[in-house]
Amino acid sequence: MDKQRILVIDDEAIVRVSCDRVLGPEGYDVELTSRGDEALRRLDAERFDLVLTDLKMPDMDGLEVLKKIKEKWPHIPVIIITGYGTISTAVQAIKLGAYEYIEKPFNPEDILSAVKRSLEDKK
Amino acid sequence: MIKKSIHSLASKLIITIACLMFAGSTIFGYIFIRYEENVLMKNLINYAGSSADLAKKAVYYGMLTRHREAIQQTVEVIGKGEDIQVIRVFNSKGKIFYSSKRAEIGLQVDKNSPVCRSCHSNPQRPRETLFNKKNWSITDNKGVRLLKFVVPIYNEPSCYTAACHVHQKGQRVLGLLETEFSTTTVDAAIERNRLAIILYGASFIFVISISLCIILYIFVSKPVALLEEGMKRLGKGDLDYAIPIQSKDEMGLLARTFNSMSKDIKAYRENMENWTKTLEEEVRKKTAEIMKTQEQMIASEKLASLGRMAAGVAHELNSPLTGIVTFAHLMLKRTPPGNKLDREDLEVIIEQAERCSKIIKGLLGFSRSIASEKTEMDVNETLRHTLDMVQNQAKFHNIKIIKEIDSSLPPIAGDASQLEQVFLNLLINAADAMNDRGTINIATRTISEDAEGYIEIEFTDTGPGISEDYIGKIFEPFFTTKPVGKGTGLGLAVSHGIVKKHGGYIHVESRPGKGASFFVRLPVNKSS
Repeated sequence: MDKQRILVIDDEAIVRVSCDRVLGPEGYDVELTSRGDEALRRLDAERFDLVLTDLKMPDMDGLEVLKKIKEKWPHIPVIIITGYGTISTAVQAIKLGAYEYIEKPFNPEDILSAVKRSLEDKK
Repeated sequence: MIKKSIHSLASKLIITIACLMFAGSTIFGYIFIRYEENVLMKNLINYAGSSADLAKKAVYYGMLTRHREAIQQTVEVIGKGEDIQVIRVFNSKGKIFYSSKRAEIGLQVDKNSPVCRSCHSNPQRPRETLFNKKNWSITDNKGVRLLKFVVPIYNEPSCYTAACHVHQKGQRVLGLLETEFSTTTVDAAIERNRLAIILYGASFIFVISISLCIILYIFVSKPVALLEEGMKRLGKGDLDYAIPIQSKDEMGLLARTFNSMSKDIKAYRENMENWTKTLEEEVRKKTAEIMKTQEQMIASEKLASLGRMAAGVAHELNSPLTGIVTFAHLMLKRTPPGNKLDREDLEVIIEQAERCSKIIKGLLGFSRSIASEKTEMDVNETLRHTLDMVQNQAKFHNIKIIKEIDSSLPPIAGDASQLEQVFLNLLINAADAMNDRGTINIATRTISEDAEGYIEIEFTDTGPGISEDYIGKIFEPFFTTKPVGKGTGLGLAVSHGIVKKHGGYIHVESRPGKGASFFVRLPVNKSS
């Protein structure tokens, strides 16, 4: 079986690297991008099993990315990571179909368990 | 002063009246003097006439008896009478036969002399006798006036039948008797009268003028001066000055009118002043209101920008903190269990990063307290929800919570999640103050303050209370009494901001050594 592919979208390099370093050793194929539009292009071209996305990004809002993914690839679970969490955005994200809502700074265990659960639920 | 008094009304009046009186007195005096003169002269003439007649009768017998010496003696005696200068008897040819002045006897008078002219208008024709009624004349001889009175001696039967036969029957006039009177006495009387009249007139004018002066001073000049003084005072702004004139005349009327005018002006000015004061007061009030509003706006603007900054900083810090936490965890995983020193160091890094994260969450909460969404909510429900949350936590295991809930609280318009944050904050503060051991009394009730209805939520702890020095500062951002690492100093500031935005306030009561009470008071919105 192929490695499960995870796409991480965040404008902050340190967050992308952190995700890579937490998830990579666990046997996931982690792809990183800083832009929402590029993420959508890559989703069009490649196969991904999970998307982790930031909410606040300069070019495209995380909620918009979530909406587009859910339109085109409703089977791909999306986990939202945010440094600016409010109850209303969390509710909105869940309503739009996000699997989980994680606040920065996260504990590696939190993100790992969320990833594992989402991929298991998918099966 | 003199110039002024000359131009004054009183002076003009006095001068005019004095001139008129002078003119009137002069005319009256002149007429009176002339009349007196005429009366005196007439009296003198009558006296002269009767004297002449008397003389004529006195010599009558002497004439008949041709007793010349007796005639002369009679003439001399009569001539010595009062004011009589001389008395003469002429024959018809103008020759003096007898005279009180003996030296004149025998003198012939000129036919043009006044004696002859009194009867004969034309001396060339002595026969044409003019019976002039005026048988007297006045001559002025070097300042001495003389009244000459001529009486003709007519021929009578006793004359031409007398034994002497001097006069014939055909003769009409036998001679003349002339008397000369001095007018000195009369003139002196006239002079006396004139002087008396002039003196009386002058005294009269003087007395009247003085009286007029006094009357005008009392009734005109003095009141006018008082009026002038009053007007000057009024001009200088002394509105309390009343002109002291009590008289009932026109001056008094003027003064009363003036005084009532002053009063009216004063009342008007007072009204104006009051109005101005009221206006100033209004302006001051409005200014204060505007200033307060402005201050509030500035304060809320400051708070809003602080909130925006806090949110921005929080957002920016979260990503690097993610890196720190993640990599510290990764290193911790790789560190062998035997390397205790390194593991402890890494745990400190993680702990401190998590502390940073907590501060950031506090800042975010503070910034979010600035904007809220209000819905109709039940305060009791929110409070119950908060208590459910805390009672399961270890921190509250040794704290007894006593609830006294008023179930009839009206709903209010508010942000439930924000108020939850406020209640949570106050509960955590109470627990911290008591070192997680003690009793918290919680009560809800409705109160009314300044005719406004409020919902009051009370949190009373059994901690040490709040010191006097701190009680004014507890709502300031970043003020904390908790040990470093435990509090951010934002909890009460955020709570205060939230309650204020709901139109309410937090009231604090401290009983040092016994505990502190926080009363959250939220207004009941009647429209909701």
